[in-house]
Amino acid sequence: MKGVKSTNMDHLAPIVILGGVKFDLAAIIMVIVTSIVAFVLARLSVRNLSVDNPGKLQNFMEWVVEFVSNIIGMATDFKRGRVYLSLGLTLIIYIFIGNMLGLPFNFITEAHGHATFLGMDLFMNGEEEAHFAWWKSPTADAAMTMGLALTVIVISHIQGFRHNRKHYLKHYFEPWPFFFPINLIETVAKPLTLGLRLFGNIYAGEVMIGVILGMGWVGIPALLVWQGFSIFVGAIQAFVFTMLTMVYIGQASIHEEDH
Amino acid sequence: MTITWTNFFVQVIAFGILYLLLSKYAFGPLFGIMEKRRQLVKEQIDTAERNRSESERFLEEQKQSLQQARKEAYDIIEQAKSTGSKQADDIIAAARGESSRLKEEAVRDIEAEKNKAIASLKSEVGGLSVQIASKILEKQVDAGAQGELVDQYLKDVGKKS
Repeated sequence: MKGVKSTNMDHLAPIVILGGVKFDLAAIIMVIVTSIVAFVLARLSVRNLSVDNPGKLQNFMEWVVEFVSNIIGMATDFKRGRVYLSLGLTLIIYIFIGNMLGLPFNFITEAHGHATFLGMDLFMNGEEEAHFAWWKSPTADAAMTMGLALTVIVISHIQGFRHNRKHYLKHYFEPWPFFFPINLIETVAKPLTLGLRLFGNIYAGEVMIGVILGMGWVGIPALLVWQGFSIFVGAIQAFVFTMLTMVYIGQASIHEEDH
Repeated sequence: MTITWTNFFVQVIAFGILYLLLSKYAFGPLFGIMEKRRQLVKEQIDTAERNRSESERFLEEQKQSLQQARKEAYDIIEQAKSTGSKQADDIIAAARGESSRLKEEAVRDIEAEKNKAIASLKSEVGGLSVQIASKILEKQVDAGAQGELVDQYLKDVGKKS
């Protein structure tokens, strides 16, 4: 399945340099593919919307909505957390599809000395020979998971500051003012753990698939098992990411009166 | 593993666009439909609840009217019974009166017939006795004494009548 000849050499990301800035073509392609898959899936599920006779896809999507609603209900108060339902849905669908996309196959090109893509030179890292990996999970890239993580963390801070200003500012100095540095570290650690957890799980899964592929034919049962496990891990990580997003947003922006 | 920092912005922008598109073209309509269904279910539950209470009310009414009908029927039967027994008493009384009247009449008739019979018997016996007497006397009494007897007899007859 994987068009790989040797795993001895690291697969390079197909990077082009535009105006002195590096762009990772594989990442861009995968982000676009994942987004398109997610959008098409969502569009298909709402194509024939019906109140009393929903189709299979609509049922499935409604189940996802209920699922995310339950996540929000667990993390915060659903009535006030309702505005984040779309965010949670987008997150879980995008991350899940992203996690799954990297599993079934890979697409690798070999280059010797020089490679171009649409007339743009690919960055070869100074090597004579390189393998470019064009297909991977968008969530198997630390910068991209950190993008997702920081997005939701920034949202949680903004919403906390807007809707819950007094308690939001106060929580940096709790339980005592000299806890401020610790709270600050926690604030910084939140997006880091959120993004790197997702990245680590999915990247490790892909690395493991590469390693198993290196075993040749002997590795096929192990590959099957590992891919199955990766589906499980991908689903769990999508759930965890969404859950933690809602927990963080809830902590920051929704203050419970009886608290 | 190299980190390309532009991926960060690519991801953020792409996610933002995906979020907007999904919210507008997928989740918006989906939420609308789900809300509509919730309304529909709520409405149906309300209707069912209303129907249930209504049917309960009807059932209660039916029970009451049935009870009332039963009571009325019982009253009617009771009334009919009492009327019937009264009528029977009346009829019996009337029959008794009639029979006693008939009996009295019969008794009276019998008495009258008896009297009549007695009277006619008397007159017959009188005539017969006269005839017998005259037959006997014809042989023993001569004309003079016979004349005397006839006179005597006529006198008696005249006295008796």
